[in-house]
Amino acid sequence: MLDDYLRANLASWDEAVGVHLDSQMYDVAGFKAGKTSLHHIEIDELGPLVGEGTTLLHLQCHFGLDTLSWARRGAVVTGIDFSGAGIATARALAEELGLSQRASFVHSDVHHLPEVLGGRFDVVFTSWGVLLWLGDLERWAEVVAHFLKPGGVFYIAEFHPYALLLADDSTPDSLRIGYPYFMYGEPQRFDEPGDYADPEAEVQNTVTFEWVHGFAEIIDPLLRAGLRLDFLHELPYTPEGLPFAFLEVCEDGLQRVKGHHHDFPLSFTLKMTKAG
Amino acid sequence: MTTDRDRHHGATDPIPAAARAANLRLWNAWTRIHEKSAFYDVEGFKAGATSLWPLEIKELGPFVHEGTTLLHLQCHFGMDTLSWARRGADVVGLDLSGEAIGLARRLADEVGLSRRAAFVCADLYDADAHLGDRLFDVVFVSWGALEWLPDLERWAGIVARHLVPGGTFYLAEIHPFAGGLDEVPGEHDVRVGYDLLPAPGRPIVEPVEGSYADRSAVTTGLVSYGWTHDLAEILGALIGAGLRVEHLHELPTSPAPFWDWMVQDEARWWWLPDGKGGLRRDLPLSFSIRATRPAT
Repeated sequence: MLDDYLRANLASWDEAVGVHLDSQMYDVAGFKAGKTSLHHIEIDELGPLVGEGTTLLHLQCHFGLDTLSWARRGAVVTGIDFSGAGIATARALAEELGLSQRASFVHSDVHHLPEVLGGRFDVVFTSWGVLLWLGDLERWAEVVAHFLKPGGVFYIAEFHPYALLLADDSTPDSLRIGYPYFMYGEPQRFDEPGDYADPEAEVQNTVTFEWVHGFAEIIDPLLRAGLRLDFLHELPYTPEGLPFAFLEVCEDGLQRVKGHHHDFPLSFTLKMTKAG
Repeated sequence: MTTDRDRHHGATDPIPAAARAANLRLWNAWTRIHEKSAFYDVEGFKAGATSLWPLEIKELGPFVHEGTTLLHLQCHFGMDTLSWARRGADVVGLDLSGEAIGLARRLADEVGLSRRAAFVCADLYDADAHLGDRLFDVVFVSWGALEWLPDLERWAGIVARHLVPGGTFYLAEIHPFAGGLDEVPGEHDVRVGYDLLPAPGRPIVEPVEGSYADRSAVTTGLVSYGWTHDLAEILGALIGAGLRVEHLHELPTSPAPFWDWMVQDEARWWWLPDGKGGLRRDLPLSFSIRATRPAT
């Protein structure tokens, strides 16, 4: 069964690369012209720890815009993704931008990464819409810990579990519950047209299988893997990508719940340090 | 020389005077109600039953042995405190309510635990002044404690200052998500409200209708002042006070019902019904944290 889930999700992500390259959300032309794809959230919270020569591993890197943005800030980066199309595009971008010397990309899913990648890193980074593709966060946490140097930092910026459980037809006056906060085992099956970065796109591989994870399910495996919790932040905004009608995009480009700009958490960040 | 204790003793009270008076009145009244409630089952406790949940016994029990010193903050009338004493701990319980502390002392006497159980009547934020420099192996806090506190940084500072190096802090609490749930009018169902994130200057002020332990109890004229917190704030306060988080667990059950249509199981946990004759297992209603004061 797991292979069926993986196959469907992989087909969806392989196809998404082409859609995203042409999308406004990813703005590849702007990126090539020098714009960072990182948001203020990641830059403010992780940026101070990323300097010239910092080694950074980016898990689930898609086609590498964020990975390369960290490279532009001086890091020596490795991006990994389970989509071959994503990795090929990332390598081509690195070449085109003259970042090949400090950016490498590995085609692998998270679980099997230690079999194909060596080395230890100062920073392990992952962000925005990554955990829902992972059924087993125990193994994920082991991989994170495996690739960190002692004293190394793990950082994630992600959609808040509360935001992901709201029903699609919720309104700001009635936030109904449509999905679970936590679940153990079987994923949810979705079959939806379009793409989060381009709702009008003609997409063939529309079926995906997605998991949800509560905070304990995310944090506890990392603690057990030997990481120490530095902070959890819960933020009443998110940079992009949530397709709900009860959200609005504000002047600063961030999405918030209409009429409740400070009251509902839509994203979270987590920073942890490997002991030693 | 200025010590931590002086600094904190001199700081302004984070609880507004009206809130402090209202909550004190409420807890004194609730103590009289709770003493006679089936929920607290004081007779069963006197006969030897523990008031602790299997959760706390499983998660904190391994750290409590004969002679372990344990501080129970916001201890109400002390049944949990005394239950830890029955397991061998030398305990101190602290609570703001004079009624509750009076009852706790009477219970300690009656069950023969006075020698290993002391009770302090004090507001949480005044704990340092009453506890002095005393250090404990374990600091324990549970079920409906944090909602009465506007300032978790000061709370966590008190926890950390009274833990021995290497000591254990344990918290079992109602989940912030559960605190933010609203009843859907006319349905036995919930939706998500907006009391989810910390708002220290904006207490939730509500008339009290009964008690979580006895929903039909008469509480005319009583008002509660409460504050919302999120996991980020709770964890951040503990980390900021120098503690190391050892675990975070979340559960789909609560020790008390929020609405009268919730369902109780054989182990006494309360659940949200799923509308199809079963129980909802997909939403977090409580959580626990264990944290350590590093030994060095």
